Amino acid sequence: MSLIQTENLTKTYGSGETAVTALDHVGIQVKEGEFVAVMGPSGCGKSTLLHLLGGLDRPSEGGVSIDGTAIADMKDDDLTKLRRKRIGFVFQFYNLIPVLTAVENAALPVTLDGVKPAEAKNRAAEWLTRFGLGDRLASRPDQLSGGQQQRVAVARALVSEPALILADEPTGNLDTRSGDEIASLLRQVTKEYGRTVVMVTHDPRIAAYADRIIFLKDGKVVDETQLDRKGAAEKIANKIKEIGD
Amino acid sequence: MNLQLTLAWRYLNGRRLRTFLTTLAVVFGVMLIFGMNIILPTMLEAFQANIMAAGNLVDVTVTHKSGSGFPMAVAHELDGIAGIRAASASLERTVNLPADFVDGNPSKPDGITALGLIGVDPEAAQSLHAYLVQVPGRFLQQGDTNAAVISQTLADAYGVKLGAMIKVPSVSGTETLTVVGILPPRTLPGNEEVLVTLSQAQTMTGQSGQINTIEVALTTTDETLRNQTVTSIESALGNEYQVGALQSGSEMFASIKMGQAAFNMFGVLALFMGGFIIFNTFRTVVAERRRDIGMLRALGAKRGTITGMILVEGLLQGLIGSGVGLLLGYLFAAGIVRLMQQPLSAFIRLTLGRPVVSPTLVINSILIGVGITVLAGLIPASTASKITPMDALRPSVAEVEYKRRAGAGFIAGLVMIGLALLALASGNMSLISVGGLLFLLGLILVAPVLLRPIVFVFGRLTALVYARQGTGDLAQGNLTRQPSRVTITASATMIGLAIVVALGGMSTSLNGMMSRVLHKSLGSDYLFIPPSVSIWNSDMGAGSGFTDRLKAIPGIGDISTLRFAASTFNGQAISLLGINPVTYPKVGGLDFKQGDESAYTALANGRNMIVNGAFLMSIPVKVGDSIELATPNGPQTYTIVANASDLLNAKVVTAFISQANLAADFGRTDDLFIQMNLKPGVTLDSVDAQIKAVAADYPQFTVIAGKAYIDQMMQLLSAVFIGMYFMLAFLAFPSLIAMLNTLAINVLERTREIGMIRAVGGTRKQIRRMVVAEALLLASVGTAFGIFSGMYLGYVIVKALGVLFPMEYSFPLAGVLAGIAIGLLFGALAAVIPARQAARLQVVEALRYE
Repeated sequence: MSLIQTENLTKTYGSGETAVTALDHVGIQVKEGEFVAVMGPSGCGKSTLLHLLGGLDRPSEGGVSIDGTAIADMKDDDLTKLRRKRIGFVFQFYNLIPVLTAVENAALPVTLDGVKPAEAKNRAAEWLTRFGLGDRLASRPDQLSGGQQQRVAVARALVSEPALILADEPTGNLDTRSGDEIASLLRQVTKEYGRTVVMVTHDPRIAAYADRIIFLKDGKVVDETQLDRKGAAEKIANKIKEIGD
Repeated sequence: MNLQLTLAWRYLNGRRLRTFLTTLAVVFGVMLIFGMNIILPTMLEAFQANIMAAGNLVDVTVTHKSGSGFPMAVAHELDGIAGIRAASASLERTVNLPADFVDGNPSKPDGITALGLIGVDPEAAQSLHAYLVQVPGRFLQQGDTNAAVISQTLADAYGVKLGAMIKVPSVSGTETLTVVGILPPRTLPGNEEVLVTLSQAQTMTGQSGQINTIEVALTTTDETLRNQTVTSIESALGNEYQVGALQSGSEMFASIKMGQAAFNMFGVLALFMGGFIIFNTFRTVVAERRRDIGMLRALGAKRGTITGMILVEGLLQGLIGSGVGLLLGYLFAAGIVRLMQQPLSAFIRLTLGRPVVSPTLVINSILIGVGITVLAGLIPASTASKITPMDALRPSVAEVEYKRRAGAGFIAGLVMIGLALLALASGNMSLISVGGLLFLLGLILVAPVLLRPIVFVFGRLTALVYARQGTGDLAQGNLTRQPSRVTITASATMIGLAIVVALGGMSTSLNGMMSRVLHKSLGSDYLFIPPSVSIWNSDMGAGSGFTDRLKAIPGIGDISTLRFAASTFNGQAISLLGINPVTYPKVGGLDFKQGDESAYTALANGRNMIVNGAFLMSIPVKVGDSIELATPNGPQTYTIVANASDLLNAKVVTAFISQANLAADFGRTDDLFIQMNLKPGVTLDSVDAQIKAVAADYPQFTVIAGKAYIDQMMQLLSAVFIGMYFMLAFLAFPSLIAMLNTLAINVLERTREIGMIRAVGGTRKQIRRMVVAEALLLASVGTAFGIFSGMYLGYVIVKALGVLFPMEYSFPLAGVLAGIAIGLLFGALAAVIPARQAARLQVVEALRYE
């Protein structure tokens, strides 16, 4: 069954003659446990789609349902709770709180949910250890490398055991090697831990880690490609040439 | 417009809340300084107009150094001195009037509150002054009795015409004078003069055969010749006399000066807080615009251009802030002047005029306002100029200071606090005063290091009772990420609250002491109070006829009076009060600090005196010493037998001597303040009507039952304290701006983080709680410091006042509670706007924020 379903999802900024349509009647479906990459040229609406899926922003038209629940008309507080429990976010610039340690940062969503601090930290520590940061629990963000900080961010996204992880250019700020590490980590999240991941990227090499790629252009879905592991990257590169910038 | 100005203006405009708050700090400081410096000159001017006569043809004025009267024969010493055109001996006395004396109309404010009674020799006076008496009518003539010449203004005030009678208080009861001449209305407001013959004035003031002023007109305007003449006059009279300007009212000037110093200290403190706020803002501005500045540098902007840009911003804010501050300061002063008139009238008959604004004050206030703003911007501006183009390329995130500054500053701070505590232990007053300053500075220096532990403790508390689910921890972490910013903010709060707690301590201690002294020194059954209590020189007393008549009323017990004469020692004006050593202790009494009641007996035997705390503070002598006091009959040696004070004269340099000595050495026998007890068993009701009837002939006195007077004084005192607390809360206001500013900056800087917290599931409520908790923590740090330093400062003030009055330091519980309440209230208030802004952030926009 589909974890995410959108119908005629449309987002318009501004009004009248200056109105810009960022998303134009998009209908997509994402299955549980699937790793989907969203690609497309700058300004095609990738990030807008992600924000709408995560309930960070509200659609102008159409709707999104997560796990069968329509989120478009939810109250802000309910939406916030949904985000807290069902959705995890990974951002390009990690967005860790500089004054909190790695484990405190990772524990933030469950702490905000009222879980006792010790318990919250235990859960966060588990994820961090799985991601190879067991010895860096007490480090502050400025003492970690970019790749390490992003792994803390992924741990933070998973700590409340959400069904869905949304990642916005998670490798955009990293070098090639760290980027590959994060991408394979996200793949591991889907395959090993059974979560669903939707990732926005413009890097074909990173997109190649996904099961399926949705191509957006001018706010519309222009293509979808199912990938198998072999030769995925070339296949994507060709697609991009075909679609054009 | 040039680029710097354009950029400065756009940036300021782009951050309206912050610009508003920073400018508000400047506005407040300028307002306080400008306002305070309007109020005091306004009082001074009213006072001068009250005392000083309008200028005329007089070149030189001769008075006795003691300020008291002297024999008429002295005037003849000037005969034959070359260069003197004319000389006129006179007896001048300011006579404060009871309320509604002139117009008899309680519903109308009094235009005339005091008269200048001037006794002159008609011929000599006319050779010095041009008296333009209106026709019909004439000037005074030799041999006139009960005749007076007054101005049209005064005649209108009395509602009389030529030939009518006016009433003037005198030592032998109200005197009725016939108006024989009317002078044109006075152009300058001030004391209206009543001109009478010299002998008339001597009778009315009870100073027979005495004068107190010789006015001299010189023949030439040549500076050298004039100086020669003045020198000749000085040598003819000897060094007992003052040749030059009139020296009256020095007691009042001293009081006003003390007030001015205190007011200016408040202004400086307010500006100090303002400087902190501005400094904080500019530091943030620079940190926030690191990328913009780097980009400008990359495009070829010179360092000087960057520095200039920041300073132009300061200049703009300084100018606008100062302008608004001037306007508000004027309104503030005008309001205070109006409010002050009432309580002031209870003590002194003084009408305050319109606020006095000098151009220098306007210029100075603007210079100070703009100067402080630009100065506070200097360091941040120089930091800005050091930003490299490379900074433009780094991502912008909220900065965090991880360095713990347990360096030289911390150690210096500890040393300062240590020294302050040692000073406290030493008991030496001047050391303790310096210690107060050291304590404040020391706290500011150690604050960055102590911040984390203090915030940790308060943070646990906040997390427990208010900010659960991790928001408290976040607040705690957020607050300590910029220790120096928080320290500066907390310092502003600390200063504000220290003032509240210190003055709270002072008022608690003062209140207890006042009530004790009041009951002791003014506890008699009846009091006869002159219009201006403790500015005795301008009150018209009563001759012995008044007390004789009082004594004749059956049921009257002891009567004690205060008499006054002015004297000097080494140029220091001394107020001499004559008491009756036998009756004074029975009816009133002094509060002894050194010596005891046996000192009264000593006053009756030989030239001995009891001096007050202010005396010993101004003159370097101790109990047991003998000093020479200036008297009209040459210097006389008096021995100090005790140190004691009464309430009315506490802040004036005062010595108490026997009335016999006062009469013998200073020629004064008029009673200025009378206290009276009833015989045991006699009720107030049975004698009240008779007493009031006698007193009716002496309208210069207000008759009041002692108990009622004390009640009235205590009421006035609490009114003053309430007014003071109000003003203090006002002074603590910049700390509110400081906190609000810092919180607004913190929230703005962390926009992205807040967006992230919202994204991962923080509700609006949790965000709001986070900011409010941060505000409360910030406030509690400032409050904790403020209470400590406030208690120290309060101790300093109480000790300082203890020199005048023995008083115990009592723990300022009310002040501490007020401090905590104000601190937390301000913290919570400061959080309102930033918390709402933070909670309302749109998640997507916040995440994109740079």
